[in-house]
Amino acid sequence: MQPQENVEQYGYRQELRRHIGLTDLVFYGLIFMVPIAPFAIFGQVYSISKGMPALTYAIGMIALLFTAASYAQMVKAFPLSGSVYNYAGRGIAPPVGFMTGWAILLDYIIVPSLLYLVASMAIHASIPAIPVWAWLLFFVVVNTVINLRGIRMTISLTKALITIELIVLGLFLAAGIWALLQGKGHGFSFAPLFNPDTFSWPVVFGAVSVAVLSFLGFDGISMLVEEAKGGSAQVGKAMRLALILAGALFIVQVWVAALLVPDPAGLIAHGDPGDTAFYDTAEIAGGSWLAHVTSTATAVSWGVADTMVAQVAVSRLLYAMARDRQLPSFLAKVSVKRSVPTNATLFVAALSIVVGLWMSSRDDGVGLLSSLINMGALIAFIVLHISVITHYVIRRKSTDYWRHLVVPLIGMAILIFVVVNANILAQKVGLIWLAIGALVLLVLYAMGRRPTPSGLTVAEEQHQ
Amino acid sequence: MNRPPLHHDLYLIAHDQTGKPLIHLSSLGVGLAGAVLLDLALSGRLEITQGRLAVYDRSPTGDMIADSLIPVILKDRDNRDVKFWLKKVAEDVYDRACGGLVAAGVLTRVTRRRMGVMSQTRYEPADVAPVVRARAGVRGAVEAGEQPDARCAALCGLVGVLRLESALHLAQPSGPLVNRLRAIAREYPRPVNEVIGVVETLISENAIALYR
Repeated sequence: MQPQENVEQYGYRQELRRHIGLTDLVFYGLIFMVPIAPFAIFGQVYSISKGMPALTYAIGMIALLFTAASYAQMVKAFPLSGSVYNYAGRGIAPPVGFMTGWAILLDYIIVPSLLYLVASMAIHASIPAIPVWAWLLFFVVVNTVINLRGIRMTISLTKALITIELIVLGLFLAAGIWALLQGKGHGFSFAPLFNPDTFSWPVVFGAVSVAVLSFLGFDGISMLVEEAKGGSAQVGKAMRLALILAGALFIVQVWVAALLVPDPAGLIAHGDPGDTAFYDTAEIAGGSWLAHVTSTATAVSWGVADTMVAQVAVSRLLYAMARDRQLPSFLAKVSVKRSVPTNATLFVAALSIVVGLWMSSRDDGVGLLSSLINMGALIAFIVLHISVITHYVIRRKSTDYWRHLVVPLIGMAILIFVVVNANILAQKVGLIWLAIGALVLLVLYAMGRRPTPSGLTVAEEQHQ
Repeated sequence: MNRPPLHHDLYLIAHDQTGKPLIHLSSLGVGLAGAVLLDLALSGRLEITQGRLAVYDRSPTGDMIADSLIPVILKDRDNRDVKFWLKKVAEDVYDRACGGLVAAGVLTRVTRRRMGVMSQTRYEPADVAPVVRARAGVRGAVEAGEQPDARCAALCGLVGVLRLESALHLAQPSGPLVNRLRAIAREYPRPVNEVIGVVETLISENAIALYR
């Protein structure tokens, strides 16, 4: 038996049928990332990067390719369908695992709020008669009902949705390139990739801290490690492929859109409070029908498809932490009748309404939510890199310094630079969130409930 | 076998008189798989200790599902555990249990049109007596307060974890009733409570599965 198949040595059993191939894994990553994700946050990325969204996405992709490499190493070491919470808990120490789980929880529990808000703003751009808050309630109710009825994303539905999103993207690119050839926009240039007049590392990395949102979800592929036909090796490969594919699509679409922005200086100076910058470029490219098609595709892909996947992901994390007695046990309760984690679903729905409505009243709502989500994810990814170094180099005395030391160090350095240049409010909230997590950890210790991931016995812990 | 297989009784309890399942099929499948393993264990064919299985007796039980499982377990060189086998059996146990009940004449196939258009096939009880008898054992154990045998305790435990207490039609609040059913199962820690504990875990894991 190959090392990656030894799930049993970690107290878990090989339970899930191995029936998901490489293509399915890549499609899963793509549906989570959303191939047309930049449609929604293009204006912000353009504004913060001072007109260089293509460079921003390219750097984001490279940074996360390093993270994917570290994920691949940890999935190989601990082939469990958990998350970075599991890898840090096992790779470093259970308390670090708790804090990492807490950090990524900020990402997971807020993601649905952002998805609902973006979807609401996108559909509001097409049907302005209905306010954003009403659309938000509509999306939350529809998704909560879908989830509570036990309706789950299937492999074939994933493929169908990805195909539709790619068709919409293809339409935009064809119309956009045709429009540029017809002399609309500013003509072809490399400015979206590199503009020496506006370039500075802090500016670009500040934009990366927002753009990285579009890539979040590639890590969701790791949750399928027990079902993947090729085990952990295939999961690592799928993560890389999904990131490269998504990155290429992101770069191309923002490049074309950047060349069609009607008022570049205005967008850079005033930002995109309505988050409609991309749909404005679509209108220039193909007319109002294309603007409606792109905004509706954003609404459906963020508000329904991605939310279905994100809901399951957050339920799994809440379940794992509640099962390990690190969150209230009611979050681990499931409905046998519907086979759904009812309490976690309702909890996330309620939170999404509160956070979504609050953020819909702020001009920087989408930007702030994105920064918060990214902050949680970036902190967790930094710890993931540390996990690789700790587990392989320090504990196992690995001499494969490239994969177990250099790659994690480079990945970590890029992510730290992104965090340092992120939105100040997001940094503050991220730190407050971590401080609350540290308090919770202290309380858990005081109550004698020291964090121990399921299946990790005390003996194993001491051995490590 | 004098009594019907445990999974037959569980199947009957888990459906209403129109053949509609009362709970999600992924949960029910795991419950029926637990019933198959418990039947084998309680009839002395199988020993289940600390999650591991050992075949003691290869003689047939008369139940096709259980009898087809023994050779597969014997061939397993990796000595996989209860969780693995529950998931394996759960893959098709629902259809096989239904087929077995139809073959035995307990269920009958009924096809109706929904809203006059879509046809729907259900498997209704041909006679209410087997359903009443299946429920009666569990009801008796709960109401009488006497110590039931291991088979009845297993059925009580499965009804409890599958939250089928409403099918018993007992005038008792749901929470205490489920606690009572689980307490009955706990009287038989091995193999009954052990298998039921794994069934409960798998029900939770199914609920958070990415694909199903």
